[in-house]
Amino acid sequence: MSLPQGVRAGLLVGAVALALVPLSGDRFWVQFAGKLMITCIYAVSLDLLVGYAGLVSLGHSAFFGLSAYLLAGLANGLGLVSPLATLPLCLAFAGLAALLIGWLSLRATGVYFVMVTLAFGQMLYYLFSESPGLGGSDGVSILQRPRLAVLGRTILDLGDRTAAYAAIWVALVLSFLLLRRVVQAPFGHVLTAIRINEGRMRTLGYGTGRYKLAAFVLGGVLAGLAGYLDATLYGFVNPAQFGWRQSGLVLVTVLLGGKGTLYGPALGAALLSVLEHFAERATEHWSAVVGAAVIAVVLFLPRGVAGLLEGSRG
Amino acid sequence: MAEALLETEGLTRRFGALAAVDGVTLRVERGTVHAIIGPNGAGKSTLLNLLSGELRASSGRVRFRGEDVTRAPPDVLSRKGIGRSYQTANVFPELTCAESVWLAAHSRNAGRLFQPRRDGADTAAREEDALRACGLSGRRLSRAAELSYGEQRQLEVAMMLATDPELLLVDEPLAGLGHDEARMVLALLREVAQQRTLVLIEHDMDAVFAVAQTVTVLVNGRVLESGPPAAIRASPRVREAYLGEEEP
Repeated sequence: MSLPQGVRAGLLVGAVALALVPLSGDRFWVQFAGKLMITCIYAVSLDLLVGYAGLVSLGHSAFFGLSAYLLAGLANGLGLVSPLATLPLCLAFAGLAALLIGWLSLRATGVYFVMVTLAFGQMLYYLFSESPGLGGSDGVSILQRPRLAVLGRTILDLGDRTAAYAAIWVALVLSFLLLRRVVQAPFGHVLTAIRINEGRMRTLGYGTGRYKLAAFVLGGVLAGLAGYLDATLYGFVNPAQFGWRQSGLVLVTVLLGGKGTLYGPALGAALLSVLEHFAERATEHWSAVVGAAVIAVVLFLPRGVAGLLEGSRG
Repeated sequence: MAEALLETEGLTRRFGALAAVDGVTLRVERGTVHAIIGPNGAGKSTLLNLLSGELRASSGRVRFRGEDVTRAPPDVLSRKGIGRSYQTANVFPELTCAESVWLAAHSRNAGRLFQPRRDGADTAAREEDALRACGLSGRRLSRAAELSYGEQRQLEVAMMLATDPELLLVDEPLAGLGHDEARMVLALLREVAQQRTLVLIEHDMDAVFAVAQTVTVLVNGRVLESGPPAAIRASPRVREAYLGEEEP
């Protein structure tokens, strides 16, 4: 489905505005917008599962956390800092984990699938928070951020805030364009039809399990990309990144923005980040304010903020 | 004797103590219409679900083109050439007719996960032919949810045809249709039957005896009689089984 004209223009303006944030020179806003873009990648990766394949996963944080922890392990344990090595390794690790977890989880359907994915996320949370060798509940600081050097000369240092910010911006744009391409291809149409009527798709000749697993793995790899970038930006990983709260928050982001649109969840991530920021400043009960806003959107905008922008368009 | 396209041997499906299909042995010859009739609860739809792979048999065998397909799932059977339509419209409410039929046609390329949107003239031609054959060319861009019940049944058949099956399992295609719609679907089935093999479940006996070359009567999950329509119509056992029901 093509994007509404206004949405397309809004996305372009948003992308340009985000690209210009580092020019403000304000460290806080650069960090804030960097985190916001990471959340966007995280949310659009989950939208592929929830909005297109109809797979409501509460274990999506597993791939975010595994990728982030692997980056920490590669940097601290092996002194491997080149993003040309660490990025493919982290994404492949997230993808392999998604293949295994997806292969097992997709044997269940409906609420049972939700519970199995939740269980995998929680298993990893307890494994990492209770294993001193993995940093325990305190987490792990990344001693060396990803850095690309050629002939002893550093050409890209992601420890530099602006460079990390630029990398996150590029990753967001590429992730979004990749997913747009995927959902507009036959693969995306098949996923949508599986969500609507899986039984009928099987009698039409589709091995639906393979399609769902492929979506699960692709979503997992992109969640892994978000985790890699998060660990790079903050230089720190902790077991809370595996927790159900993290998975729940990103799911809320998808629903708030409007599932099955890709741009909706990105918008949801931006709105939720801004709302949280200002609510935190206004009151110590900020989470109640955010909760009330989420309830209002779910009740009055069942198709999320994207539904509001698209009007009656189905 | 003509070549058998589909055969079952002692096919049985139990739900607890109840045998919904009980030792059914069938032989469906290539290029024929084989009707399965019987009172409500006789096990007709359960039998079709076993043949399409949506239910697993408790015991017995199913052979398609001589190959044992008893344990094959529905997607594998579909790709082997077994198409299926349902007793009630089983469509994609949010998709247009063109999208629904395209999905069915595209399924023949489903071995590859990632493909361009337009994947060859064959797919487009199958999509177009199926829509035209089912009288839905003018409804290409209508969503399935916006169609009348009769049109949804036509869409069902169009999706089935777009998969280019050799054997069609058609479950009560006339149920719930008005007179004109039923005539159109019947004419469509006659046309389809000229090139393919049909296993047809239908309660409308006039339609069954008009199109079928073989009729099998199921009662309580078992085959009561099987043979040409004239023999079935004349069978005292069949008449007895239908007491209280419509006489064949």
